Amino acid sequence: MRFTRPIIIVVLLIALAFFSLQRLAGDGTETVRRSRLLMGTVVEIEASGKDAERLDRTVTEAFNEMERIEGLMSPRRPDSDVARLSLSPAGTEVSPETAEVIDLGLDVSAASDGAFDMTLGRLKDLWGIETESPRVPSPTEIREALAGCGRQALRLEGTRVIKTDPKVAVDLGGIAKGYAIDRAIAVLRQGGVEIASVNAGGDIRLLGDKGRPWRIGIRHPRDPDGLTATLILGETAVVTSGDYERFFEADGVRYHHLFDPRTGTPASLSRSATVVAKTAVQADALSTAAFVLGPEAGLKLLEDTPEVEGLIVGADGAAVLTTGLKGRVEWP
Amino acid sequence: MAVKALLRRMTPLDRAIVLILLAGAATTFFYLGAGARGQRVVAEQNGRIVFAAPLDENRTASLTGPLGETVLSIRDGRARILSSSCPLKICMGMGEVSRAGELLACVPNGLLVRIEGPPEKRSHDLISY
Repeated sequence: MRFTRPIIIVVLLIALAFFSLQRLAGDGTETVRRSRLLMGTVVEIEASGKDAERLDRTVTEAFNEMERIEGLMSPRRPDSDVARLSLSPAGTEVSPETAEVIDLGLDVSAASDGAFDMTLGRLKDLWGIETESPRVPSPTEIREALAGCGRQALRLEGTRVIKTDPKVAVDLGGIAKGYAIDRAIAVLRQGGVEIASVNAGGDIRLLGDKGRPWRIGIRHPRDPDGLTATLILGETAVVTSGDYERFFEADGVRYHHLFDPRTGTPASLSRSATVVAKTAVQADALSTAAFVLGPEAGLKLLEDTPEVEGLIVGADGAAVLTTGLKGRVEWP
Repeated sequence: MAVKALLRRMTPLDRAIVLILLAGAATTFFYLGAGARGQRVVAEQNGRIVFAAPLDENRTASLTGPLGETVLSIRDGRARILSSSCPLKICMGMGEVSRAGELLACVPNGLLVRIEGPPEKRSHDLISY
């Protein structure tokens, strides 16, 4: 047999070498992916590095840290800071972590003119949207549940939270999950992990990159299998608040879990609000605020906040986005 | 006719190379195709695996959690929650899953169902919702 096609041989050898190298993936990178039910949702952590055993241990520590934060901030745990605070007539001493979250929440509350509100515990109980028997309360009941609420109802002095109204029930549902995600990322970073993602029910923080930017799909508010857009991002946090997450329907009307503190009813200007920020705690609080404020005022809030970007889908289904996201978004 | 002429001009080595390339392409196609579907259904409670089964075998499994029984169905390569004793039945509304990495969860009953297998090639890394 004569070698009459030497160029083909060369091409073949190059192709073989390429595929062999790809298959061997010679850098020895391991990836650990684990999920746990925490904070009322599925939390998924993915971490990549050289040492699988160490990765596994660090991921366990990250989950444990999130569970610790849940223990401090869950209103359903009687010994949590939040439960104790709601029961106490004038306020109480809380952990430094809870104080940090309340401090940041008060900042977002002020910046959003009260659209983000951590004092709606009684209103949420009244609607019972996350319970077996949700209902539409009467205007009188809503008025009573809103009495004494608002950003003036809480004050922080060091790690002591002061309540101006004894009836105020604190709810950190719009911010605690973001904080727990940030703590998990801090634990992963301390453990030497350089590439990771923490995804708590669609609220995400990213660490490092995979040799290319992260591609984060934003769920379509009315099509569970569809995407509104895909964001091309670096090391950042992405949180979306949507009216499709938890809701019930009565007389053909959808009542969801994101309340407008001005009316005590579900906010109606948006279908979803996605915020990209350096930390998940900030993205979490701002996404709730932007959702309540709607495409116009919500977008202004995001534009006015340094190092924050976002995308809001209005009640009419049209999307608006901050100027900084342009060029980093792909539409389906 | 052009094909005949081409075949006449090919040496045995040419033919061997074409065959190798075709076999390589077929193998790649096979592996990529298999990657889109999951292989196993794994159910966890409190971080402990309480059930695991191949996705391609039809079966029904009763899993007991703090609120009672959650029934998981595997049929035609798809898994879904058939019934659950949780209050809101959100898990039943999650529909069917079949691709590696997809999840079903009954949060009140502490049950997490995951499809395992070769990772699927997707247009995104994660979804924010």
